Amino acid sequence: MSSGETAARPPQPRRAALSRPDSVDLDQAFDINSLHMLRRTVAAHADRLGANDDQLERLIIVAGELAINAIRHGGGRGRLFLWRHEDTLFCEVSDQGPGIKDPTAGTSLPNPISSDGRGLWICRNLTSELAISTGPDGRGTIVQATIPR
Amino acid sequence: MTVPNVTDVVGPGDHACLTFTDGDERLDLVAAFVRDGLRAGHKVVCWTDAIDPDGLAVQLADRSVRPGAAMRRGQLRLSPVSDSLLGTGATTAAAMVDVLSDELDAAAKEGYPGLRITADMAWATRPVGGVDELIAFETKLADLFADGRLCLICQYDRERFDAVTLAFAAKAHPKTVAAQVYYEHPLLRICRQYSQPGIRIAGQLDYRQRDVLEQALSESLRLDRNPNVNLTRLDYIDGACAGVIVAAAMRLPRSRRMTVKCQRIVATVLDLVGAGTAPNLRVQVSHEQR
Repeated sequence: MSSGETAARPPQPRRAALSRPDSVDLDQAFDINSLHMLRRTVAAHADRLGANDDQLERLIIVAGELAINAIRHGGGRGRLFLWRHEDTLFCEVSDQGPGIKDPTAGTSLPNPISSDGRGLWICRNLTSELAISTGPDGRGTIVQATIPR
Repeated sequence: MTVPNVTDVVGPGDHACLTFTDGDERLDLVAAFVRDGLRAGHKVVCWTDAIDPDGLAVQLADRSVRPGAAMRRGQLRLSPVSDSLLGTGATTAAAMVDVLSDELDAAAKEGYPGLRITADMAWATRPVGGVDELIAFETKLADLFADGRLCLICQYDRERFDAVTLAFAAKAHPKTVAAQVYYEHPLLRICRQYSQPGIRIAGQLDYRQRDVLEQALSESLRLDRNPNVNLTRLDYIDGACAGVIVAAAMRLPRSRRMTVKCQRIVATVLDLVGAGTAPNLRVQVSHEQR
């Protein structure tokens, strides 16, 4: 992958309706002390679900960034769901934080010298869709990432 | 914090103990020792044990120390410790001291101003060697260093030697050489790399260790003209830490360059945080997996 490619394709913000199935392949709560374990668990489940190498790498990066966002900006903890539909993997991370106010968050490359704001940019570039919505009771954030083969 | 170069620590007349836990850390220090010796025009001898001579030659080449020409002209010799220091007869401390003394005489006759030897001491953990002889050997050596022509580094694997022997080894050697380690944890290790100069990070790296990453990088930027950031054994990096690396490269003046070697997953994150926009940063994807 070259940087030219990513710069040429700025991802669009989306707020699609979320429809997590009742039965998922992984439902895992996490906090700052379980980040390593979360990444390992996600990788193991995706491998079992038949993800190819490239898809697995994108999933590990995306799941990691979303979990870190929940820990740093979403109240210190969160919950990750993983499921598959045909060849596509879906990864959803929810938290109980103040929510993401800007629906366009992460649609442009942050200044490399600045210290924050890269997580959603990275996720948008590695997914076909990144849906950001507010939790059911108006609290927290739900981010759903679609990772095709 | 200062990070002395291997050459700053050991030189002619020195008898030093190199302790290590990570195989790469040992090879880095041995490569720097060989490189510095060849540059100084000294004869260099490596007595190997855990790694065979051919394996060591490959590892030296991987660290930008090309052993071929020096070996052909006789300036560098890589040989198993069992064929050299330990000899073919009984392994006694006195016999080993004689081997070293003969090496020193031979180097002088060949016209070398000095002799650098490094020996893997792993043999002493096997019944055939014996820790008793090792201890006697290390203490009897003192006279050989008197005229300042010999420099000897004995390598001790912390995993293979018991604490008592390691404590003795530290005492028997006037100097100690060890890699600078910035962070040590079963899931993450950040240490200095001596050849090629820079830092090496293994394991998984995220924002929680961002401060120590910044410290290691800024030290490398201060010490190394063209810093090498070896991430070949790093399995995961988050955007925050990838951003720290790219930002460090962007601060370099035009005449300097940072080279990052990493797995594809790490290259992907570096690329997404702007590695391609840093003119002084070169990212090389390595296919070596853990």
